[in-house]
Amino acid sequence: MRKIILMLMLGLLGGLTVQAQQYKELANPAAFRETFSKAAQQIKTIQSDFVQEKELSMLADKITSKGKFWFKQADKVKMEYLQPTYYLVIINGKNIKIKDSKQVSKVSTSQSKIFQKISKITADCVQGNILNSSSFTSKVQENNLFYKVVLTPKDKDIATYFSNIELLVDKKDYSVSKIVMQDTSGDHTTMTFIHKSLNVPLADEVFSVN
Amino acid sequence: MACLDQFRPSIKDKVLYNTSVDVLNHHFSGLLLFKKMENEDIRIVFTNEMGFKFFDFAFDKEGRFTKYFVTPKMDKKAVVKTLQKDFSMILMLQAKGDIKQFKNGDELISSVNWTKGKFYYITDSNCTELKRIENVGKGKPVVVITMKDYQDQLPGTIVIDHKKFKFNISSQRIIENVSK
Repeated sequence: MRKIILMLMLGLLGGLTVQAQQYKELANPAAFRETFSKAAQQIKTIQSDFVQEKELSMLADKITSKGKFWFKQADKVKMEYLQPTYYLVIINGKNIKIKDSKQVSKVSTSQSKIFQKISKITADCVQGNILNSSSFTSKVQENNLFYKVVLTPKDKDIATYFSNIELLVDKKDYSVSKIVMQDTSGDHTTMTFIHKSLNVPLADEVFSVN
Repeated sequence: MACLDQFRPSIKDKVLYNTSVDVLNHHFSGLLLFKKMENEDIRIVFTNEMGFKFFDFAFDKEGRFTKYFVTPKMDKKAVVKTLQKDFSMILMLQAKGDIKQFKNGDELISSVNWTKGKFYYITDSNCTELKRIENVGKGKPVVVITMKDYQDQLPGTIVIDHKKFKFNISSQRIIENVSK
């Protein structure tokens, strides 16, 4: 679940179609890291729609979900799933609220640790710090249109669930256009952000957990 | 036998249920997918809304069970056995052959053998309504399942109530194409 959140965060930065082109190793990864980090820091808020596709490899099938996404620096995230069912997650600093179609839940202590970890990862992604995260090793490649950042978890908890997370960063504006999270079970979840607005005013109340 | 046929979920392609789970003091929700595979196995996958997969099971047409995946924190023998039994009761794949029927007041009870014990499918005396499904241990219900609001021979709601400890699963069918 946390991975999903994080992928969402990352994905919210873009929604471009990824073209299958050969990727090659980046000549100057340090320059990319610096530029990516600086560009992300300019993004104070994000408001976007998203499409999530859970690919079930062994079933040759997928579950498609749609919803809305909000982010506000430094640590506020809200994801509202509208299809095929209602589900709301708000992360506001250390506070987490989950609401499904039946009830509002407080996250348990054990789950909370996970959410905090996710929250940190997602915030790092949005802020461009993810490449410096101690929870992942990263490799950066490029083609004509995109940088591809492949994050491999070092953190044991995260590695239990994800073999890697891929970010595709648009070369035009250094926004993340797609996030693909590879499950250890062989499935993957892709998050694409569409109708994205950056730096629109978002009141703190949007992220209220009360 | 004919009595139960009308209540056996008819999964022709795939069906999605909005599902909430209350176990001990925890509550969580997700999407429960039933899919009929080309070899006629029924695959059952439960993920949360964000795509995190909890389990992936299969039953062949004889009701034989295969565990394909269970998330590590949930992968306990007792948990898997419990879910195997629950879904066996729901899919009714064993409820085809050796069925004994008897009346109890105004209820008709169809008894089906399972690996351990029996499943009891309890209908009204005319078999027009499936009132509940029970698995009984030492004379007391261990699990009670209700399947109601049938449409296209698929239950609109499925409620699984475990009596020995707090573990309830409640599912509502989502009528839409889950794959686009």
